[in-house]
Amino acid sequence: MKQLTNLILFLTISFGYAQEVNMIDSLAINNLEEVVITGQYNAQSIKKSVYEVSVISKADIDRQAGNNLADILNQTLNITILPSASTGKSQVRMFGLDGQYVKILVDNIPLVNDEGFGNNTDLTQINLDDVEQIEIVEGAMGVQYGTNAVAGVINIITKKSSRHKWKITPYIQEETIGNEYGWFDKGRHIQSLSISHDLSNKWYANAMFTRNDFAGLWGDKEGQNYAQNDGKRGYEWLPKIQYNGKALLSYNGEHAKLFYKFEYFNEKVSRYDSVVRSNENPSTGTNNPISSDEIFTSNRIMHHLNVNGNFNGGVTYDVSFSFQQQKRNAETYNYRIPTREKFDVQDFEYESRKIYYSKGMFSNFMAANAFDFQLGYELNATNGYASAISGDFGGENIDRYLGAYDVFASAEYIPGNRFSIRPGARVFFSNKFDTQTALELSSKYLFDNNLELRAVVGTAPRMPDFTELYSYFVDTNHDIRGNENLKPEQGTSIFVHAKKPFVFNNGLMLKSKLSLGYINVKDRIELIIVNSSPLAYQYNNIDKYRTWNISFANGFAYQNWSGNLGVSYSGVSKVLDSRDYNDDYLNALQLNANLAYIIPDWGTTFSTYFKHNGPEYQFVQQQDTDGNAVLVRGKQDAYSWWDASVRKSFLEDNKLQITVGARNLLNITRVNTTATEGGAHSGPPSSVLLGYGRSYFIKLLYNLNFN
Amino acid sequence: MKKTILLCGLLLAFVLFSCSSDDDGGTTQQFVAAFENPSMSFTADDASKEVKLVFSKTAPEDGTVTITYTTVNAEYGTHFTTDPSGEEGTIEVPITAGSNQSTFTFNKLANPIEGTEMSVSFKLEAITNPNSAIQGNTTLAVSFTESAAVGGVMAPEVGGPDQPNQVYVDLSAQTQTVVKRDAWDLGFYSGESFRVVLNESVYMAAAPLEVTDIDAVTEADVAALQPNVAVGIPGSNVYVDNPSGDIQETVIAEVSETDTDNKVYLVNLGINIGGSIHVPGGSRGWKKIRVLRQGNDYVLQYADLNATTHEEVVVSKAEGYNFTFFSFSSGEQASVEPMKNKWDLNFTHYIDLLSFQGDDYAYTYQDFIVSNTKAGITAYQVAVSDFTYEDFTSENIVEANLSADQRSIGSSWRNAGGPNAQPSIKEDVFYVLKDADGNYYKIRFTAMYNESGERGYPKFEYSLL
Repeated sequence: MKQLTNLILFLTISFGYAQEVNMIDSLAINNLEEVVITGQYNAQSIKKSVYEVSVISKADIDRQAGNNLADILNQTLNITILPSASTGKSQVRMFGLDGQYVKILVDNIPLVNDEGFGNNTDLTQINLDDVEQIEIVEGAMGVQYGTNAVAGVINIITKKSSRHKWKITPYIQEETIGNEYGWFDKGRHIQSLSISHDLSNKWYANAMFTRNDFAGLWGDKEGQNYAQNDGKRGYEWLPKIQYNGKALLSYNGEHAKLFYKFEYFNEKVSRYDSVVRSNENPSTGTNNPISSDEIFTSNRIMHHLNVNGNFNGGVTYDVSFSFQQQKRNAETYNYRIPTREKFDVQDFEYESRKIYYSKGMFSNFMAANAFDFQLGYELNATNGYASAISGDFGGENIDRYLGAYDVFASAEYIPGNRFSIRPGARVFFSNKFDTQTALELSSKYLFDNNLELRAVVGTAPRMPDFTELYSYFVDTNHDIRGNENLKPEQGTSIFVHAKKPFVFNNGLMLKSKLSLGYINVKDRIELIIVNSSPLAYQYNNIDKYRTWNISFANGFAYQNWSGNLGVSYSGVSKVLDSRDYNDDYLNALQLNANLAYIIPDWGTTFSTYFKHNGPEYQFVQQQDTDGNAVLVRGKQDAYSWWDASVRKSFLEDNKLQITVGARNLLNITRVNTTATEGGAHSGPPSSVLLGYGRSYFIKLLYNLNFN
Repeated sequence: MKKTILLCGLLLAFVLFSCSSDDDGGTTQQFVAAFENPSMSFTADDASKEVKLVFSKTAPEDGTVTITYTTVNAEYGTHFTTDPSGEEGTIEVPITAGSNQSTFTFNKLANPIEGTEMSVSFKLEAITNPNSAIQGNTTLAVSFTESAAVGGVMAPEVGGPDQPNQVYVDLSAQTQTVVKRDAWDLGFYSGESFRVVLNESVYMAAAPLEVTDIDAVTEADVAALQPNVAVGIPGSNVYVDNPSGDIQETVIAEVSETDTDNKVYLVNLGINIGGSIHVPGGSRGWKKIRVLRQGNDYVLQYADLNATTHEEVVVSKAEGYNFTFFSFSSGEQASVEPMKNKWDLNFTHYIDLLSFQGDDYAYTYQDFIVSNTKAGITAYQVAVSDFTYEDFTSENIVEANLSADQRSIGSSWRNAGGPNAQPSIKEDVFYVLKDADGNYYKIRFTAMYNESGERGYPKFEYSLL
């Protein structure tokens, strides 16, 4: 509690400057006439979009004081965030499919990360300070977004203009981690500075810098310099520190728009071993405690040049060029705890991706016609590297080039305001895999009563990753191998969405959406026993994964109230030809709700977010009392995320904004589970770590604007 | 406006100066020099021994340790000398900067008259190095006659990560015998019964065939059987010697006087040191063997699988030893174990039985410790929650707990590793061992890695109860 006192003190001092002025949040039902980009020929209103695009607005992000994607997405229906306390990473899971099946884009192009390009993303590494909105499309989007867009696409759209000549925005955010807070070594400390300038009415420039110091969760642990071997050394949740710099230059001409975006990201994650080798010397009655630690440093650079416009009002083009690189270096060393001495220090590249990328889309070939088509290409040349110790690669470093050359086309037929239909196809050529295809058929119908009906059938392949291709873990007791002959997995999805807005006489606005979805992944890659004696495992395309989903989402606005209420019910069935299986559908329920209340005179918004994740089931193999292997239905208990915040503006023009809130009010940490299997050396874990408990934050943001 | 600027400045200051550095510099540790062991004894044949002084850390600078001594019935120059000289009543042993130990030599010049006690006690008096301390083993008792060590520390040289060696440790004599794991293949029991053991430290396995003519067996005959006869796979438990060490439960049946009862065995020679059955070249290959009796001797017939002739050797039991060892590669007997009452523990790779998902396995273990149960050595584990190592005395010994299973230490002194964890020492247990002479020792493991974290560098301390 002492740490909290600091925070409260800080808060009190800050409020000393408070003045009551008007509010800033315009919380009108925010997705009535939003403009969306994802999957569109041109940015257009969400209503006209042939895809069902869900939007998380900047206001939503601000009210949750979200600094990175992992802070935000756990409130979204059909999405689960899987944090790993032992790596510090957070992965997304959508419709039960993990981060390998979800494509994360920034301004319409995939973003590199340590282990992939657009997929396998560590959500904590994606900063949201320059975000305009986040767009989410569910289902396979292989035609528009290529490989790995199987469960869905999350597209982060950044800001590219400002209403002010100069805009200088520093902010600081202080957060507790669970109930831990301290000035330096505990809690989460974010500092950010953003400067933007309208050079002319066509040119705009922006630069920002953010530092995010996550001091880790100590819990029962005692940190780096603890010398006892009782499992208490290190951290329960790894500390990490992130630096993020971004710059943008954009040009907004009559027939052409252009932006160039640069990003630099640096992250340091420190992993302190809990095992202390005491090295007692009974002869001298002394000891020499040593631990083996690892520090991982990720560096990402991203250049993105985008040109879009039209040739004399005719054919429109939208072309991006990008160079991206993310390198993760490891420093491993032994640490003599009493003297703080590092020795046996080894520095090496742990894993990396280097990518040359271009995507181009051309449309509006038939000016002013109901029929239009789009031609596009997507090229990427990826150099991937995984060091021998980043996985089980048999002591070899994996250094591979993957060239992917896709062409895609789609046609859009919009005979009137009501109906539109869009078939599309993409062909994937690559130097590594057989030629793949993705198909899509999207359609929309707008009924008289404003009911919007959309149906989308799409496919997308998922490319095998390095672990699946190149694993090599062979010793006396084990034989686990990758398979270079793996084929891409094939994902297919069907989604139907019905959406209707209602406006009542008393001013209540309501928008309801009913969605039905089905995703089927075949040729799923699984580690299977290829030889029972001696026991040998290899990755193969063998299994199937099917999931259906029904969700009902409602947004409302009434006077100063607004909010959302959604419920989703899903079933997952797995056919595991690799082993005993039960392909019954296992059902899960998710529920989310949020509510915001604005007091305009106070410039204050109260908001609360709630998401309930019902129990999740999975068939797991266990031993019965006779020692025989049996398949049982394991269960992960239900849990809920509940956040709340107050946001208030002060000073003229809302110059100062303060957001105070709490995350994880229900204090979720570990959730009991019987839905995971044990390994050869250990029984199954009885719980899964999902959060670090109730925590509080305060964010002070200052807008210094000149015109 | 003033307020605005002030506030803005405040925020910027936070952005710019929020660097954290709370690392303290650590503590400086004292330098300690001490006798490695508290006792040392001479047999009648030993003439001189090195006395080792060990340091708590690498010596930061040169210095000197001053040692004094007292004697019982021994006189410097007549019964013993030291080097450096202790003629003046003290010995000055140099400490060299950068070293971890220094030594002096104790020369025994005469044996005591039988029945007379003769000993020298050394005592550390001073260390010249700054910030040093005298603690731990500050005294050393040197006995001129053979006697059981009162304790000490040992570091069996199993040889690093691949653990290529089997190390036989004698606690009372403070000696170790190092043998390469693959120096032998079969052990012929020297005790009452006629039994043959496999070298489980290289993970050998064997299966009886239904024939008695070794020359008639071909590779094709055993091809179907071969995949099963290996350690580490389901059902492998039936193809290995019982790791309990019970000589009556070897995979090769008791050798019968009646030749026709003695079947041919298919023998998997196991895995090369540092190798794997899953990689080409990792396997040590196969043999077919048949063992017969000839009087009180064994007759071993062996050949490669497809050979139509075989080698034949006579192997005799060895008085005072557990086994006579034989190596196929040399075609000769091999010298492996010390005499059976000259070792207590064997540090080695080994097998143990394991059940996993309904299947039984003979599973491979590193850092395994076999106790010499065939010479009557027994041991058991004590939990620190019951007694601390320091407080445990002879009164606390529970005779009934002493186990004749050779795995009573086994792999239980360490935690198994896992996907994200290296194996580590269990610091909450220690062991009680009763040796063949009836000495009771308590044993506590202090290391399984070297300072750089490489496996295969075990250390333990022990003390006579």
